[in-house]
Formats: sequence, structure tokens, C-alpha cells
Amino acid sequence: MARRKLLGKGTTVPEPAHLRLADAPAYAPEHVADLNDLLTRVGRGDEHAFAEVYDALAASVHGLARRVIRDPARAEEISQEVFIQVWQSATRFDASRGNAKSWVLTLAHRRAVDAVRHDQAATNRENKYDWSNGPDYDEVEETVTISLEHEQVRRCLDGLTQLQREAVTLAYYQGYTYAEVATALDANTATVKTRMRDGIVRLRDCMGVAS
Amino acid sequence: MSSDLHSLMAPYALDALDREEHERFEAHLAQCVDCQGELAGFTATAVRLGDAVSHTPPPALRDRLLAEIRTTPQERPVVTALAQRRSLRRTLPRLAMAAAFLVGTVGVGGYVVEHRNAQEVRTYDAAVERVLSSPDAQTIEKSFNAGGNVRMVMSPTANAAVIFANDLPDPGRGKVYQVWMIGDDGPASQGWFKKSDSMVMNDIKDADRVAVTVEPDGGSKQPTSAPIATIGI
Repeated sequence: MARRKLLGKGTTVPEPAHLRLADAPAYAPEHVADLNDLLTRVGRGDEHAFAEVYDALAASVHGLARRVIRDPARAEEISQEVFIQVWQSATRFDASRGNAKSWVLTLAHRRAVDAVRHDQAATNRENKYDWSNGPDYDEVEETVTISLEHEQVRRCLDGLTQLQREAVTLAYYQGYTYAEVATALDANTATVKTRMRDGIVRLRDCMGVAS
Repeated sequence: MSSDLHSLMAPYALDALDREEHERFEAHLAQCVDCQGELAGFTATAVRLGDAVSHTPPPALRDRLLAEIRTTPQERPVVTALAQRRSLRRTLPRLAMAAAFLVGTVGVGGYVVEHRNAQEVRTYDAAVERVLSSPDAQTIEKSFNAGGNVRMVMSPTANAAVIFANDLPDPGRGKVYQVWMIGDDGPASQGWFKKSDSMVMNDIKDADRVAVTVEPDGGSKQPTSAPIATIGI
């Protein structure tokens, strides 16, 4: 339950902390081409290629699952499901329409968000008639903190307004719907959607992602 | 693109839509080339956020996976080839697309197209495409010794599944095959057919399996026989 408690009104969200630099991830064109080629080979049933795709992307997938799901054991389960899904669906990967890393991480994020929402719904059902603890609004701070390994992403997130940053990170890193984000931030849903959009556009331009 | 749907693009890229809006946006997206261009940039940005929190998994996970894939079948290329050609298919009339897909996979396109009105076909077609084009769509097939097979493509993301029954044996005089989705609330009928058909099932999230039983013509309210096929969700 503590995993996705909403923020109380007036709660301030701390700035991202615990940041450190890491090696730049593989965005160089030759890496992209290699991974695309590997994933295409996975689609033809190549187990060695699968092992190489796993080695290249396991930390990204697992890190994302842990970030969204928080429970390490559950995150490991989801990471496993994601890679099984990669194995099964690689037949549908089309290198001319997108890159392998993006394809895998998009799949991983959806799966992680589905899992955290599903688990939360189950917890809510169990707790439906349990009022003993009362509503609890004030223990989220730590879960909003982001342990970023990539300096550029940190810098770009820092460049957002606080509301933009909160809207983007609560959704992406905690699996909140925009309606939940609105409740958490005590803002209306139209404002939250706009802040998400402004936030992504600014991040996109800051990161130099082609638009 | 309407401003209402347009405002859903950023939440969509962040996976911040609820199920219903997610589906609504994807149905729109399949037909909106302009949106796809902008969305690609949003998605690439989200991926960078995802990539910024990497964490090395325990080594045992690698071993488990490499063992597991050895016994895990991959999706069949017949479905996948169609899903990959989304950009081409966007330019085809949607009705022809639905027919081509059904003929290509199970050979019952004629039946379905002839017996559904245009609106139904459009809705159905959008639902089929949504399932097939989801990155997490997976296919399960059951073949029968007496001939025919049942194939199901499902996607947790789309929260929907499409089931294709192909050339099943005659269920007997006055009998039909009925499809059930089974969850906590028990079996819910999805419809029935005689030999070959396809149907879209929505809201699969709360179900844990799909079953096919033989029932009296017109269908039953609850299954009255043991399933001839059960597919886990």
C-alpha cells in the first residue's frame, strides 16, 4: 500500500537526489544498428542473439521495473516476463520502424505500470473495509526521489518547472494515471495534461531527441 | 486530431492513461499519421527517462530466462508479418484490411464481412488491429486431432484478445461451440459459432482463462459441458 500513496495537499516533492554519472548509454548509431540486428535475429529463434540482447538491456529493463514497482522480488518477476515477451514477440519487431531498445523499454514500462496498478487494485480490494489505519497521506517523499544514472536526463529534468517535473515523474516512474497525478498535486486534470505535454516537449528538446 | 484527443498524447507516451482512454487514443492513433510522428518523439523521450534508472538484475535471472526460452514458442510469422505492415495497411481501405487479415489467417473473412454491418466491421477491425499491433501481443494456438484449431491473440496492454476458430469439427446436430471468458465472477459468454469464426474479447485483465464448450444451438447461460479447449490469459 505504501507503494503508491498519494501525496497530501501542500506536500512538497523533493528535488531529484542521489545522482551520479554513469557511462553514456548506447545511443551511438552503431550500437543501435547492432541491437536492431540482434533483435531481428531473436525473431528468427536465435538463442545466442537473445542472450546478447539480454546482456545489453537487462539493467535498463530491470532498473525501470524496480523504479516503478519498488518491490525487488516483484520487479524481478516482471523483468522476467518482459524478456519472455521479447522472445515471443521479436518476430514482430521491424527495424525499419523503430529501434530495438525503444521497443523493449516501451514494452517493459507498460508491463511494469500494468503490474503496479493491478497490485494496487488488489490491495485496495483487500483493504476495502479496513478503516483501522485511517487515511494516510504523508509518506511519499522518498518514493519520488529519483536515482538517476544519466547526467543529461537529470539536467533536463532540472530544467522543468516543478509542476512539469512532478507531472512527468509521478506518471512515468510511479505509474500514476494523469487523474491520479492531479489528485496528488491538487491540480485539475486539464492542467496536469498540459504540464505533462510541456514537460515532455522540453525534455525532448533538451535531450536532443529528434521531433 | 481533436484537441481533446490531442491532449492525451503526452499522458499516453508516459503510460498515464486509464484503460478506456488508452484504448480510445490507440484507436485514433491507428488512423492519424500526423500524431504518429509527434508521438515517436515523445516515446523516445520517455524511453530516455526509463533508461536513466538502470539496475543490474541478479545473475540467476539470466540463467532462468535462457532456460525458459528453450521451451517457449515464438509467435507465428503469419500474424506478425501483418502487424509489421501497419504503415502499408493504413493506406488500404479498412474493410479490405479486415477481410485480408481474416482470409489470410483463418479463411473466414467472407463470413464475417458479409454478416456484419459496416459500422460493426469498422469497430471490429479497429479492435483487431489494436490487439495485433500491441508490442506485447502474444499468440496461443490449440489444434484438435479431429481437425481444426483455435488461435487466440491477446495483449495485456490493449486489454483485449481476438480468438479465431478455424474449421472445427461439426459439433453435432443442434449444437454449437460457445466461447467463455472465466474470471473471479465465473464464466461470461462471449458468443457462439458453428465451425469457424472470430471474435474480439475486451476487458481480459480480470479474466484468467478462455474456454470453448459444446452447447445447444442458441448458446447456454452457463457452460453445460467440459471445455474442448482452455487457454490461460
